[in-house]
Amino acid sequence: MLPSSTVENYLKAIYQGASTLAPPQRLLPMGQLAAALGVVPGTATTMVKALAESGLVEYEPYSGVTLTPAGRKLAALVLRRHRLVELFLVRFMGFAWDEVHDEAEQLEHVVSDRLIDRMDEMLGRPEVDPHGDPIPDAEGQVKTQEAQSLMTCPIGAPVTVTRVVDQDGTFLRFLERHHLKPGAEIQVEERDASADCVRVRGEGDRLITIGTRAASKLLVHVARAALLLLIAVAPALAQDAAAAAARPPRTNLSGYMDFHYNKPEFGDGLLDFHRFVLLVTHSFSDRIRFVSEVEIEHALVEGGEEKGELELEQAYVDFLLHRSFNVRAGMMLMPVGIINERHEPPVYYGVERPFVDTVIIPTTWFEAGVGVHGEVGRGWRYRTFVAAPLNAAEFSAEEGIREGRQQGSEANAGRIATTGRLEYVGIRGLTLGGSWWEGRSGFEFRPRFDVPVKLAEADARYGRGRFEGRLQFAQVWIDNADLLNDALTRRVGVNPNIGHVLRGFYSEGGYRFVEGARFGDVGAFARYENFDTQYRMAGSGISLPQFDRDAWVFGATYWPDPDIAVKTDYSVVRNRSAVIQAPNSFNLGLGWWF
Amino acid sequence: MRQAPAALIVVATAGLLAAAAPGLASRARGAQQADTPRQIIEITAERFAFTPSEVRTKVGTTLEIRLRSDDTAHGFHIVGTDVDLELPKRGRGVATVTFTPKAGRYTFECSRLCGAGHEFMRGVIVASE
Repeated sequence: MLPSSTVENYLKAIYQGASTLAPPQRLLPMGQLAAALGVVPGTATTMVKALAESGLVEYEPYSGVTLTPAGRKLAALVLRRHRLVELFLVRFMGFAWDEVHDEAEQLEHVVSDRLIDRMDEMLGRPEVDPHGDPIPDAEGQVKTQEAQSLMTCPIGAPVTVTRVVDQDGTFLRFLERHHLKPGAEIQVEERDASADCVRVRGEGDRLITIGTRAASKLLVHVARAALLLLIAVAPALAQDAAAAAARPPRTNLSGYMDFHYNKPEFGDGLLDFHRFVLLVTHSFSDRIRFVSEVEIEHALVEGGEEKGELELEQAYVDFLLHRSFNVRAGMMLMPVGIINERHEPPVYYGVERPFVDTVIIPTTWFEAGVGVHGEVGRGWRYRTFVAAPLNAAEFSAEEGIREGRQQGSEANAGRIATTGRLEYVGIRGLTLGGSWWEGRSGFEFRPRFDVPVKLAEADARYGRGRFEGRLQFAQVWIDNADLLNDALTRRVGVNPNIGHVLRGFYSEGGYRFVEGARFGDVGAFARYENFDTQYRMAGSGISLPQFDRDAWVFGATYWPDPDIAVKTDYSVVRNRSAVIQAPNSFNLGLGWWF
Repeated sequence: MRQAPAALIVVATAGLLAAAAPGLASRARGAQQADTPRQIIEITAERFAFTPSEVRTKVGTTLEIRLRSDDTAHGFHIVGTDVDLELPKRGRGVATVTFTPKAGRYTFECSRLCGAGHEFMRGVIVASE
């Protein structure tokens, strides 16, 4: 029995609807099918059940419908007739390309196979119809097309219009009027997100502005010479058999810099080239990498003077074994908090790093060690390392554990510290993280006693469009802080009054109120911080009010380039002391990454 | 510290989560083209993550991967293939690549040094029958 035009229309609609489904979805919802055909769902369901009985579709109640191989071939042959008829009408009968769709809708059901094969022959076995749609062959096979839309092709690259995925007559006439039919050679000059349009340079160097919705319906082919950003890959080798595609060893140089002017409320301003950092990386292979980061702090390093620092902040080898399990060894950043691993100047607001990331979490915190890291599922990441512990003999009341970092310099490793972070990055723009560090830090004292130190941290960061927000909370426990204070009192003659619990948190919001302008982006932010390095004292220790601090930091950043940040902020710091004041400060900064 | 405005934190947390909600709906989207199995994947790159970092598809499907950076220029390299392109910096457009995988797992990674956590920027394409 020859299928009726209704059957063919259903098969064609299922065929075209199925091509819009994202795997693993394979069933076209009945509602979507009914909408495409302009019928009520009940009508579509009745017809689909009949098609299922004929073996042309598979129907799953409440789920949807898909074509069987026989149904798929029939649908492809309907499209073949439709598209060949369209081309024939245009080429031999003088129809305009915007007139032929409706004619072909009728004729696709009545022309015989013999007639359609004769048309195919007369047309020279064409591969596409007047709109650029691919024409299935006599077996129903379709040649794959590689194309992009005007919304995705490279800006400034010459492209050729290959296909129009909307047969609406008005739209087709618009394209014809502006010489944007298949075959036209054009280039995208600009995509303007704010105006929701695309500017195209077409025939005769004319500039044409079209809406983004229309632009997404125009498919183009990028000229070979312009393949800087577009790489069309033929079916590729699976990675396990991809030795031939392994890349040769490569070495890269990169870095960032941070130049500051700090003006405290009651003092002279300071010009400080705070950080000059160079990163050198080397790929021995796709699976073995070396990464290093060398930093000069405060520009000048002189022997015996408390000025600058020359630091080896990272120098590790990564053995990339599997996405879920990789091994790292060497000098590594401790995976704690937002800033410690993500501290390039253009990526955070404020001239200086948050106070919490200075006196509670001692950024930049790096130690020699070894560990594993990886990612599982959609965005669950972990990293856990063992490393040299902190040295409690260097702790202080004001800066907490900061000066206890051994920094991989002949670090005592009699007791090993453990650290780790669990992170979720599965939602675009959102990072949720939790970190810990635990180690025994009293190794320098004789007789030796334990100073167990623990740190727990939680953070959230969300950035979407112009908005960015951050939250972070961190707490440090120094056990046996009373024994530590006693031991240090015997050593230096003054009780350092180191706290038992240190706590801090901050909340920050930033907004780019200028974005995408020719001169760059401008954003403003405000941050509230609360931090106390003597939140709880041990034994008879007294919590001093000047270490219970909070700060409001607000300011602006100008990005002339996404990798350059010109920053300014004003920092208002308050403590609970009636005697010792914390100075406010005005800060300017210039930071860049390359 | 003891006078900390706890309400501020609660409000900020709620705001952060509310702002994140739209992101749940904007994962990979199906293609709009007819005839060929084609899947459009939109990936955002940001120090130091690709989102989504796991892409699942069927063998025979051509992936049209559209990559956008939220900060600096990143790279996109599918290990074991010739796919290696640079993403424009934030606000400077989208890089697109098409890729038709055979059955298997393909690791992709950032191939342009982008900061201290560059090596964490990895993901996977899983193509199944």
